[in-house]
Amino acid sequence: MTRIFAQLRLGLVYGALSLAAFVSIFPFFWMLVGTTNTANDIIKGKVTFGSALFDNIANLFAQVDMLQVFWNSAFLAIVGTILTLAISSLAGYAFEMFPSKTRERVFAVLLLTLSIPFAAIMVPLFVMMAKLTLINTFTAILLPSIASVFIIFYFRQATKAFPHELRDAAKIDGLKEWQIFLYIYLPVMRSTYAAAIIIVFMANWNNYLWPLIVLQTNDNKTLTLVVSSLASSYYPDYGVVMVATVLATLPTIIVFFLLQRRFVEGLTGSVK
Amino acid sequence: MNQMLIRARKSVFLATGISLLAMTSALAGEVTVWSWDPNFNGATMKEAAARYSASHPDMTINLVDFAKADLEQKLQAQLASGTTEGLPDIVLIEDYGAQKYLLSFPGAFEPLNGKIDYSGFAPYKVELATVDGNTYSMPFDSGVTGLFYRTDILAEAGYSAADLQDIDWDQFIEIAKVVKEKTGHPMLGVDLNDAGALRILLQSMGGWYFTADGQPAIAGDAKFKAALSTYAKLLQTKEIYKPVSGWTEYTGGFVSGEVASVFTGVWMTATIKAANMSGQWGVAPLPKMPGVEGATHASNLGGSSWYVLSSSAEKDEAVDFLAEVWGKDVDFYQKILVDQGALGSLLAAREGEAYKANDAYFGGQAVWQSFSDWLAAVPAVNYGIFTNEVDAAVAAQLPALAEGGSIDDAIAAIDAQVRAQIQ
Repeated sequence: MTRIFAQLRLGLVYGALSLAAFVSIFPFFWMLVGTTNTANDIIKGKVTFGSALFDNIANLFAQVDMLQVFWNSAFLAIVGTILTLAISSLAGYAFEMFPSKTRERVFAVLLLTLSIPFAAIMVPLFVMMAKLTLINTFTAILLPSIASVFIIFYFRQATKAFPHELRDAAKIDGLKEWQIFLYIYLPVMRSTYAAAIIIVFMANWNNYLWPLIVLQTNDNKTLTLVVSSLASSYYPDYGVVMVATVLATLPTIIVFFLLQRRFVEGLTGSVK
Repeated sequence: MNQMLIRARKSVFLATGISLLAMTSALAGEVTVWSWDPNFNGATMKEAAARYSASHPDMTINLVDFAKADLEQKLQAQLASGTTEGLPDIVLIEDYGAQKYLLSFPGAFEPLNGKIDYSGFAPYKVELATVDGNTYSMPFDSGVTGLFYRTDILAEAGYSAADLQDIDWDQFIEIAKVVKEKTGHPMLGVDLNDAGALRILLQSMGGWYFTADGQPAIAGDAKFKAALSTYAKLLQTKEIYKPVSGWTEYTGGFVSGEVASVFTGVWMTATIKAANMSGQWGVAPLPKMPGVEGATHASNLGGSSWYVLSSSAEKDEAVDFLAEVWGKDVDFYQKILVDQGALGSLLAAREGEAYKANDAYFGGQAVWQSFSDWLAAVPAVNYGIFTNEVDAAVAAQLPALAEGGSIDDAIAAIDAQVRAQIQ
């Protein structure tokens, strides 16, 4: 009797999991199928592969300067990730290694700013950028994001697990603070960095609202803006939209799979 | 060694910074235009610019396209910031939002009275962009409505084109019942999250969500009640429509051949033609509101107009460009009708060849003549500032109405929600 119950439970669990897997996989499948179908077939709800893939790709490249747009997004994501990690991990390290009452207060204020939605600071930020004549530059997009409070917090938490003995030993060996950071901390914390790279890269790659407000010309636009623009026309060519969406999804998938193992380690906070 | 490394890194950062800074540029003599569909309004603007630059070789146009919602958010944020840096010279704004921008940002847009002869345009298009006697828009595409229907399905049910002339919504519902019974096809696709249909009914009798002075015209407004009652009646006749969710399913209904008709703006023509069902479609006048004084067969859904920013350095050139091409070039309007399916608001355009042509897709019907007849007859209303807010309040009540809910309760709920939001 109990065996039947156990099997029933197992069946239910697998059923629920399969359903959840289907729900999360289906949009991707639908997207891939969509790239091979015409807009009309997609509207009609066709879920089998068609033969319009090359037409859709050709149409996309005819409508949008994809190389330029892809480069813009990649540049912002890569440079943004490097700068954010450099600045924010240094800050996280410093907050944990050199505690003082003042720093704790500064840190508390920083955390408070997390609760302010971006839409609220968007207009003042735009005024600032306009005064600095940075409108329509990538600098205007990168500058506000490189000191990321969330990443500072994340590194501070991770640094708590960093063995202070290592730092003391390095000091005795005559290393300066920046050398300790570069040669001891950085290699030890590589899982934390890997997880942060995924988080920051994805955030930068998918960044939408701020680039929309700041960028003013077609040749500076990012992939997210282009996909949004393609999908909202009066008669959207969904086949083309699907191709653009696949291109927009690929880099985050690649980065994730490259760093997947370290990502899990980083989130669980392991230090080797 | 380390010193060198640091120096090298520093110079890389510096070089990146400089190259980023160098990316801003604005050419003199260049008119920047923001629009939201490069295949539709963007393409018409390109054509207009090509015509203008034939006589004004210095003029170049810089077309930037964003999604419509994106463009609105961007324009709103930049106008709210009070800095004029980065604003375009000409911007496309959807008609429903015109009053919001004109009233919220006084002085941001250039009045065009005296520079454009507005008497040549559809009156309702001029009215919606007028504030305190000043008109700010160059009227562009119209959302004049019609009833697109499948001639073959209607014929199977025993109806010809003549049976759809001069009918009201009660008659339409009766016809739809017969169509469903005899052919099995639902007459309409209905999205209960979308209040567009109610807006069409309202404007067809000169009603709107707001009075001329911007107060809500909901509770106690006879036209609002009439429109909501008629739409509720349609919604309660469940056999005649297919419930859909979202735009893709909505258009998919008739593109796939399942749904037999759609009443909507003229811009739907492109989607209907893309379905490759030549000769199977026809266009009839919008059914009118039953038993209401001032009811017409003409209404509007969507549509947009061009506006010149007062901050523009190329303002005079931009205004002259709009007035020269968009203001009077009848030939230009033929070209954008054929190439983009864009029905402009210049009434004189209907005298051109393309407007008179018979369309084989619609069984040889001169559809553009019909649409331009209705265009001139669309009642002018004040779209007000809070159309989106009322839309949301209306949509929230539609499911209850479809289940036979009380009209008065729904009106009271809509009125309460709207007043709470806009006060």
